[in-house]
Amino acid sequence: MNRSSLPGIVYSLPGIAWLSFFFLIPYIIIIIYSFLTPGIYGGVTLPFSLESYTRMLTSPGYWELLWQTVWISVMATVICLGLSLPVAYYIATSKRKNLLLTLVVIPFWTNFLVRIFAWMLVLGRTGLVNSFLLWTGLIEQPLQLMYRPATVIVVIVYMYLPYMILPLYSSIEKFDFTLLEAGMDLGANRNEAILKVLIPSIKGGIIAGVILVFIPALGSYAIPDLVGGTEGAMLGNLIAKQLTVARNWPSSSAISMIFLLISTLGLLVYLRMNAIQARVRRFRVREDYMKEQEQ
Amino acid sequence: MKRIFTSFLLFLTFLAIVGITSCGRKAVLNIYSWAEYVPQEVIEQFEEEFNCRIVYDTYDSNETMYTKLRAGGAGYDIVFPSGDYTSIMIREGMLKNIDRTKIPNLANLDPRVTAKINYDPEHEYSVPYMIGTTGIAVNTRYFSEYPRSWRILEMEEVRGKATLLDDMREVMGAALKTLGYSVNSLEKEQLNEAKELVLLWKDSVAKFDNELFAKGVVSGEFWVVHGYGENIFYEATEDEIEDIDFFIPEEGSTLWIDNMVILKDSKHSDLAHEFINFILRPDISAEISDYLLLPSPNSKAAELLTEEPIYELADLENCEMIEDIGEDLVLFNDIWNEIRFGL
Amino acid sequence: METRKTIGKRRFSSLVTLGVFLLLYIPIVSLIVLSFNSARQGVMWTGFTLNWYVRLFSSPDIWRSFMNTVIVALVASTVATIIGTLSAIGIYWYRFKSRKYFQILIYTPLIIPDILMGVSMLIFFAALKVPLGLGTVIIAHITFCISYVTIVVITRLEDFDYSVVEAARDLGARSFQVFVKVIIPIIVPGIVAGFLLSVTLSVDDFVITFFVAGPGATTLPLRIYSMIKFGVSPVINALSTLLIGGTLMTALLARRFRKLIIG
Repeated sequence: MNRSSLPGIVYSLPGIAWLSFFFLIPYIIIIIYSFLTPGIYGGVTLPFSLESYTRMLTSPGYWELLWQTVWISVMATVICLGLSLPVAYYIATSKRKNLLLTLVVIPFWTNFLVRIFAWMLVLGRTGLVNSFLLWTGLIEQPLQLMYRPATVIVVIVYMYLPYMILPLYSSIEKFDFTLLEAGMDLGANRNEAILKVLIPSIKGGIIAGVILVFIPALGSYAIPDLVGGTEGAMLGNLIAKQLTVARNWPSSSAISMIFLLISTLGLLVYLRMNAIQARVRRFRVREDYMKEQEQ
Repeated sequence: MKRIFTSFLLFLTFLAIVGITSCGRKAVLNIYSWAEYVPQEVIEQFEEEFNCRIVYDTYDSNETMYTKLRAGGAGYDIVFPSGDYTSIMIREGMLKNIDRTKIPNLANLDPRVTAKINYDPEHEYSVPYMIGTTGIAVNTRYFSEYPRSWRILEMEEVRGKATLLDDMREVMGAALKTLGYSVNSLEKEQLNEAKELVLLWKDSVAKFDNELFAKGVVSGEFWVVHGYGENIFYEATEDEIEDIDFFIPEEGSTLWIDNMVILKDSKHSDLAHEFINFILRPDISAEISDYLLLPSPNSKAAELLTEEPIYELADLENCEMIEDIGEDLVLFNDIWNEIRFGL
Repeated sequence: METRKTIGKRRFSSLVTLGVFLLLYIPIVSLIVLSFNSARQGVMWTGFTLNWYVRLFSSPDIWRSFMNTVIVALVASTVATIIGTLSAIGIYWYRFKSRKYFQILIYTPLIIPDILMGVSMLIFFAALKVPLGLGTVIIAHITFCISYVTIVVITRLEDFDYSVVEAARDLGARSFQVFVKVIIPIIVPGIVAGFLLSVTLSVDDFVITFFVAGPGATTLPLRIYSMIKFGVSPVINALSTLLIGGTLMTALLARRFRKLIIG
């Protein structure tokens, strides 16, 4: 293939320029802040110091909070993926693709705070579910459905579902369904064919969906704040509190740095895996082709 | 088809133009304040009398307002910080000196209010807007036997049905008051005792909440909430108010005074002075008190009130103002991080 | 319909889809129904009313913040979609020296917590003495939307055969022609999806907007945030109902002129 580097740079230039200016520079400011001393009334002062990092890393509570944050986000992502695969498959194979896609997106054009609020109408002590259950006589006292860690997971799943469904849909939609047929002709049953043929070929969509859900879930702030109760806090809440209430900007930046480091590592692993697998895939295709030729 | 497309585009352009040109040429006063804190009627009356336009933007806590201004957020003329943040902003040189000759209505302020102001007793930088306290509201539809004390949070019946404010100084203040200490205490022993008490309360509260306590207690989602009376009564209808019991716990509570201050780089300083003077007019002050159901800090407004406030100035005797504690904030922070995040 | 056979009856996926749509719509439908309920609190039906809509329309603030949101969303999404699509093509198809760094640069805005992005941008604008207002909000929104558009368009590009581009070039097309006549039409679904995602994100953003907004740049989410705390619940429900209605209309219109563009 003749792919010179010039067009690549030309295409990427606006993005590089924009993000360098409006994202990278502010981001570097944050990195520098994390190594400074907090001013009494917010802001930062000299001298440079590692205290924000050492204090954080030596606190067991911090690691627990980090663990809770990751755990909630992983659960939410897995549930999202489990729900979105069948939905994306259904939409991609439906005759009313556009209608269904629009239906997926519409609820999300309501403000996200309002959507959280709507969940309170559904799950609250005097909400829909409890009123219904009380009416049927199944329960005598309203159930405590709000303000639990599980509530946080449910609401995160709800919030980020379309970010999973959309990329999955766009890669399933491109999928050549005759391949499934071929798989079944070769003796696989339908489920096997889906698992072995469909899933591997939409890996790009899955990865995109996982990134789009997992990462914002990690940074959740308003959801745990509003529906999380006393035990459902996540790292995002701590970052916000350190920044505003404690007026400790370096600490807030340092926590974010650790956070970013972990996510960036994850991202690099993903990109790397992706690249390796793409190479393996290409190699296999060639191998198969050569075998066919031999026969 | 094409027509739909073009007309849609035209419509959008129209919207954009309306949005841009509707600003007009009038002088603009930019206010940064709490949501729903200044009644719409008062704003409109000021706009009419002084032929200007008010832009009213809102924040949800002193802390977020301060973080934003501190990081460089600019363009506002008047801000409404509470006492502790007023003193911080004075110290950090963020405020403009107030020209008291331009505010003759300062004389209307109730001496009982001004006596409590220790952060700026001479009104060099700030003028009080409202004074009040933080208390407990109970929805009596669900239970009626309870002590009018902070200890209500320890009752078995309210477990999972109560909230505390998500505000370090307010919650610690409540605990310190319950134990008979000052809300601004810096004694390690006392703070530790207060921490243990808050941790005990934490077991029975559903969440730390700044947003939904008012709606929650009115709808019955929560039975007991810690919060601001004016928010709760703003939310309730006439019938619903019957069921709400708001009280200042017998041990006492925190006291807050919200102030109007003019930011250093304000470009409409004269108009800002006019605004402050306007708010201190007896009729306007009474209108605001009736709207918020708070006692008026304006002694000449008292007889003009048409509604009965949630509490009177006299009820605030046992309430103590939250003061800025400077560097010692770290003490509170560490405790609060432990309570909220287990750090 | 030769694929019908392979696709089968889709019993499992249709069940899950039904469940997911219930999950998506139960909260929204309750909001819509309750916007016509005369009770201020709770979910018990006490009678039909249009009162909340009347109160909604008597508030000039809401209308103003709605306008701000529309302007920000359209401008930011358009710019972000252009930049993001170009970046996706550059990253996905071409190999160039700094490609890896650019990849990381494109993905990190997805990782940085909103609140930090908001504060860092605010500090940045303050350092450059840029007055805060709608302009700064638009810049911030473009910045976080670019990454999302890129990631969505890349999924579209993934199995797209690059040899089509080469074929076009062999047939004598210039780069620009290739871009407009070959590349764009193929990735239009990705671009549309990216644009929709941007609009969704922009219309929704609260935290970043809060920090970079200046006097008079209050957007709908900022307004709604204060309404949730202080406002009358059914009025918020009424507003949400209108937003959903408006969205539906826009979506229908968008479908119309998408057909128009594609032909």
